Amino acid sequence: MIAILFLAMLTFASAEDLPLKQDSVRFAVIGDMGTGDKPQYEVAAQMEHYRETTRFDSVLMLGDNIYGGKSPAEMKRKFDDPYKPLLDAGVKFYASLGNHDDPNERFYKPFNMGEKRYYSFKKGNAEFFALDSNYMDPQQLDWLSNALRDSNAAWKICFFHHPLYSDGKFHGPDTDLRARIEPIFQANGVRLVLSGHEHLYERIKPHSGIYYFVLGNSGELRPHNLKPSPDTAKGFDTDRDFMMMEIAGDQLYFQTISRTGETIDSGEIDRKQN
Amino acid sequence: MNRLIAAVVLMAGMLCGQIGHPAVNADSAIVQDFQKRVAAYLQLRKSVESNLTKLKSTPSHEKISHHENELGRAVREARKNARPGDIFAPEIAMEIRRLIAMAVDQGDGDHIGQSLRHAEPVQLHLEVNNSYPEHVPLQSTPPSLLENLPKLPPEIEYRITGRDLVLLDAKANLIVDVVRGVFS
Repeated sequence: MIAILFLAMLTFASAEDLPLKQDSVRFAVIGDMGTGDKPQYEVAAQMEHYRETTRFDSVLMLGDNIYGGKSPAEMKRKFDDPYKPLLDAGVKFYASLGNHDDPNERFYKPFNMGEKRYYSFKKGNAEFFALDSNYMDPQQLDWLSNALRDSNAAWKICFFHHPLYSDGKFHGPDTDLRARIEPIFQANGVRLVLSGHEHLYERIKPHSGIYYFVLGNSGELRPHNLKPSPDTAKGFDTDRDFMMMEIAGDQLYFQTISRTGETIDSGEIDRKQN
Repeated sequence: MNRLIAAVVLMAGMLCGQIGHPAVNADSAIVQDFQKRVAAYLQLRKSVESNLTKLKSTPSHEKISHHENELGRAVREARKNARPGDIFAPEIAMEIRRLIAMAVDQGDGDHIGQSLRHAEPVQLHLEVNNSYPEHVPLQSTPPSLLENLPKLPPEIEYRITGRDLVLLDAKANLIVDVVRGVFS
C-alpha cells in the first residue's frame, strides 16, 4: 500500500511548469496516439493532470489519430474515452491526418478540421497550419504558400504527420516532402514545425531558424529506435510522452512530459533570434 | 490531279490546325481524355451522393461510417460493370508510366525513392470497386510525383499500393481504377 502511494506521488508529483504568463497561448501536442491501449490512457491522464494547473485549452494532433479498426466503438475507445476529461473540460482538439487515418476523419467534429484535409486557425498572436502530408499535391502547396504569405500572425506554426527531419531508425526523414515545403516555410517566416510518424520524441537543432520537433509516441512506442545524430538536440525513446507549449509575446516555451509525469525536455524559443 | 487535291487538303488541314484551332499535342490530348473520364466518374459519384443525406461535420462516428459505407455501396452498384482501364485507358497508363519515369530521372529520384521507402510501404493487390482496407495504412504519395502527374479534382487521389498506382475516391473509400506494375 505504501509502495502504491509512493508510486502515485511520484507519478503526479508537480513537475517543472511552463512560465504560465498572463494572457499567453497554451496548448498541448500529441502524436501517433490512437491505439486504444493502456499507455495512451496513461498519457491522457497526465495531460489532464497538467491541464488542471497549466490550463491549456487546445491540443494539436500530429496524425495516426486512430490506428486499425475505425468502427464507432473503436473510435470511442481510441479517442473519446481516453480524452474524455479533456473534452469535458472544453479542450479543443485539432487533428492532422496520418497514414493510418481515414481521410473521412475530417468530418468528425471533435477533430475541428472543418471538413478539410488541411486548414488553419488562429489563437492569440499565433496561426496554426494543419497539413495533410500523406498527399501534398500542388493544390495544397499553393494553398500553403498563399495562407502563410497572407498570415499576419507573429508565430506561424505548421503541424503534420511525416517529419522533414528525423533520426528515427524505422522511418527517417521524408526528403521529398522536405524539398517541396521547407522552402515555403523559410520564405514565409515559419518558426515551429511539429510532426509525428516516428514513435519516439526528438527535438532537432534549428534549420534556417525553424525549430523541428518529432513527437510520435503519445500512444505507440518503438523503444530504442532513435539513432542520435549531430542534428539531434534532445531525444527520448523509452516511453510515451506529450508536449505542452506556451506562447507569450515573442517567446515560446515548451515542455515534454513522459507517461509517468517526468519532464524529459524543456526550453524556450525566441521568435526574433535565429 | 488527285495528288494535288490531296496535298491542298492536307495543307488546308494543317493551316486550319495552326490558325483556327491551337495544335493539340498527342500527350495533352491523352491527358484531356483522362480528365474527361475522371470528370464523368465524378459526375456519376455526385449524382449517386445526391440521393444520400449530406455528410456534414458531426460528433457521430456512426454517421460518418454510415455515409462512407453507403456512398461506396451506391457507387459500386452504379459502376458494377467497371473494369480496369475504364479511366486509366491504355494510352494514359503509358503516359503515366512515362511521367513517373520522368519525375525520377529529373533528379527527384533519390527523394522519391526515399519517400516511398520511408512512408510505410504497403503490399496490396486491389481491384476496381474494392474498398481500401481500414487496417492498412495509406502510403503517402511523394509530392514530386503528384507534381508530374495530371491534375485531379480534390475528390480523387493517386495512391500507391505495392507496385500499382490506384485512383482512390477517399470519401467513398473506393478504388476507382488501377494501373498495374508502375513501381518496381
